[in-house]
Amino acid sequence: MRVFTAVIAIAAGVIVLGGYFFPALTPVQTLLLNWAIILTGFAALVGIFNLIAVHTDKVRRAEKGSLYSALLVIALVATLIFGLILRPQHSFMQVALNGIILPVEAALMGLLSVSLLYAAIRLLRRRMDIMSVVFIITAVIIFLGSATLPFGDVPVIGTLIRPWVSQIWALGGARGLLIGVALGMLTTGLRVLFGADRPYGGN
Amino acid sequence: MVFSPDLISGVLGFLFTILILSYLIGDNPLFRAAVYIFVGVASGYAAAVIWWQVVVPRLLTPLLPAILTGSLAEKIFILVPLLGAGFILMKISPRLAGMARITMAFLVGVGAAVIIAGALIGTLIPQVEATINFFDPQAAAARNIGLAEALANGTIILVGTVTSLLYFHFGARPQADGSMRRFWLIEIIALAGRVFIGITLGVIFAGVYAAALTALIERISSLVNFLGNL
Repeated sequence: MRVFTAVIAIAAGVIVLGGYFFPALTPVQTLLLNWAIILTGFAALVGIFNLIAVHTDKVRRAEKGSLYSALLVIALVATLIFGLILRPQHSFMQVALNGIILPVEAALMGLLSVSLLYAAIRLLRRRMDIMSVVFIITAVIIFLGSATLPFGDVPVIGTLIRPWVSQIWALGGARGLLIGVALGMLTTGLRVLFGADRPYGGN
Repeated sequence: MVFSPDLISGVLGFLFTILILSYLIGDNPLFRAAVYIFVGVASGYAAAVIWWQVVVPRLLTPLLPAILTGSLAEKIFILVPLLGAGFILMKISPRLAGMARITMAFLVGVGAAVIIAGALIGTLIPQVEATINFFDPQAAAARNIGLAEALANGTIILVGTVTSLLYFHFGARPQADGSMRRFWLIEIIALAGRVFIGITLGVIFAGVYAAALTALIERISSLVNFLGNL
């Protein structure tokens, strides 16, 4: 089984990767990507089923916080049943989207503003090194430069320093980080295609 | 009395915003209840979207025509993902979960290939090209930038890119006193890299903070508007 799964992973990966560089492989690549989309959908459904199973188990065992788990299961099953019967475009499902999902996401994002401010203050109090100082000074410059004030932009900072810092200095660091992330992704992907890493099971 | 969907959405949005923002006075049962309901509704909604926008149009709708009137190739093309889906569903049973490895191997292989292509075509090549283009006099002239300014900016970006990358070089040599330390030149370059990464994270922080603050203002504004319209 270990060898069989490795052969499937490597063969599928090589064909899909080849499709990007050899036009002759493009139809097979499209077919495999279509299968992958369908199977990813099923994997997500299994994941959601697992969420129901875990929380139902918590409710059955009457563990601490089982009331919250019961709320989660009821909300999930009700939304899923109505969604399967009525389809996501139905006005009932749009109420769930516009009345619960979007407001909660926006409110959680709003809470982030308080958490970020608290984290920045803690950073200055706990770790006062060169990176922290540069980080805070840059953030303050960007805030001052972007602030909408009654008299317009803050002179020099808003018109000269902020664009220079965000479009030149920050771009250098961001590009280094992006290239580093891409190199890491490349290495991880190649390790899977060479069979050195087998995250699907088997050593 | 008939309640319109907009009214119900407004009432629910008001209620859930209050429950979530109650976290500002500390972790409390109302906040937790709201978060658990949110996770349940969002998961159920996601499952419904996956069913109607992925499973039905890509697998179930073409299944019957392919089996009844399709060629052998069409039957294979539709039955293979059906078989794979069956293997994945076996993950639900602990005894048969091992069979799901076949499908997971396929997904990991395809995912790895997409990641490699994405990293190469979507990030590495465009980023290197963009860094080189800063030293192109014709590109600078097209953007109405003087050659000296373009070269200075290009140099800052190139130095930032290289030093930020080298900051993550953690190869170290054993010293006479037994400690492990990086080569002195790498240490100096890494220090410059720290400054560039600090600047980048500062700009990202400011952007995320501005977005979070905008969301908070929008939520507070929606609360005020809702109360005003009552």
